[in-house]
Amino acid sequence: MTDTQVTPPSEAPAETRWWQRVEVRGIFWLWLVFTVVGLALSWVPAWLMGISASVQMDEIKQTMTIFTALSAPVAALIWAAMLYSILKWRHKGDEPPPDDGPGFRTNVPSVLAWTIASAILVLFVFVWGLLKIASVPVASAATDSSGVVSAPMTVVVTGQQWVWNFTYPGFGNIQSSELVLPIDKQTDFQVSSSDVIHSFWIVEMGVKVDANAGVITSTEVTPTRLGSYEVRCAELCGMLHAAMETHARVVSEEEFKVWIAQTQAEANSQIEPPAPEGAE
Amino acid sequence: MKRIAFLAVTVLVGASFVVLTGLYFSKSSAQSTLPVLAATSVGMIDTPNGAMNHAVVELSSWPDSVTGDCHGSDGGNHPDWVTFCSTTDLELPAHSLVTIKISQYDGGETITNAYFAQVHGTIDGTATVDGFTFTQIPADSVGHTFTIHGIPSPSQDDLFVSVPLQLTEAEGETPKVVEFSFYTGSPGTYFWNCEFPCGDGTYARFGGPMSMQGYMAGHISVV
Repeated sequence: MTDTQVTPPSEAPAETRWWQRVEVRGIFWLWLVFTVVGLALSWVPAWLMGISASVQMDEIKQTMTIFTALSAPVAALIWAAMLYSILKWRHKGDEPPPDDGPGFRTNVPSVLAWTIASAILVLFVFVWGLLKIASVPVASAATDSSGVVSAPMTVVVTGQQWVWNFTYPGFGNIQSSELVLPIDKQTDFQVSSSDVIHSFWIVEMGVKVDANAGVITSTEVTPTRLGSYEVRCAELCGMLHAAMETHARVVSEEEFKVWIAQTQAEANSQIEPPAPEGAE
Repeated sequence: MKRIAFLAVTVLVGASFVVLTGLYFSKSSAQSTLPVLAATSVGMIDTPNGAMNHAVVELSSWPDSVTGDCHGSDGGNHPDWVTFCSTTDLELPAHSLVTIKISQYDGGETITNAYFAQVHGTIDGTATVDGFTFTQIPADSVGHTFTIHGIPSPSQDDLFVSVPLQLTEAEGETPKVVEFSFYTGSPGTYFWNCEFPCGDGTYARFGGPMSMQGYMAGHISVV
């Protein structure tokens, strides 16, 4: 009979909860850092959009900042998992990596967590968007900064290859190649095209709407800042699309009245040459 | 290390290809192949802004490219296209009074946007046709327009000029001579085109000659 040494069974390792796993901790800390950085820089996209010259642009920039802040933790999670995977699970050596291990089984808590979190985020963005769209009134009465209710001023915007043209129906249908607006006055744009599809874009006022032939599209703006701003075409419309630009000039109420009077006077003092015989 | 070097070289080659392609196309688009017509200086002139250089450019507009002889005797690739002659690329002196004289040999129709039947951006807001001073022509007697785009830019002065060119009864034979003047500012590059839809049937008659430089559109270099 030989002595046999019986080795006692080793103790079962203490159960490690999922959040105690080293890779989860690593990803968590990376996520936290990226989230903090993302939140701290969430004002940058709105800042890159340039100055704001209207109530509408203020709201667009506010939306941009809030959406950026909301997306920061989501983007941070993706970057954290990606960076951790690249750094820690990178295959080394000249040989090809071994085959993949068995596939993941479903994990009900994590599926529920990301589904509910994503649904809440998407619903928030959806409701926010609906509320913002509903807040854009079309040709309705507006209350100015002094609390006085006034009808909006209408400007008919016509796109034509490759120029913009503005008509003021409330002022004897005077026309201009530059857009002149009084400050703090709600303006209703009736936008259309004489030929192909254009897109009426006042960059610093956050107005961008398609101009279609035979269709009038309405939008409105309330300028809040004096100055000269860019009007561009944002729809590729032909050879000189890049040159389809003009000014939007925001002036005081008094200056606007002077400009209207001058333009009306010019319109009323036109001199025509004798009509040729071939005229239709 | 070898892999990283290979990766870096690949990225560098790719980026160089993109940059060089962009530079090539941006240079080729900025350089027109059309002949350039430089304004002729005719001396100094007194203006409300003081004594200025006065320069003159003469152009003509034709019902087709055979009658207008700037695309060859056979009318070139598009003999039936309306055209400005002798070229559509102009060079104007900076800080000058520029007079443009256009002999308009084409007929016309009703313009779609009456705004371009008016004179804009010239001295006193006027032009002359056969010596008659005017500020607008009837919307149904427009042959073409000469319209310089006023592009907002911090690097060059605004220059928006638009003058309607009245139709002529004797198409291709007796022109309406339209003359107008404006001031140029600092050096810059501008575009001009005809705003009377006189092209082929595409793009609401903005196709064909309206969409090709050398016919009804071109560059203006203020130098």
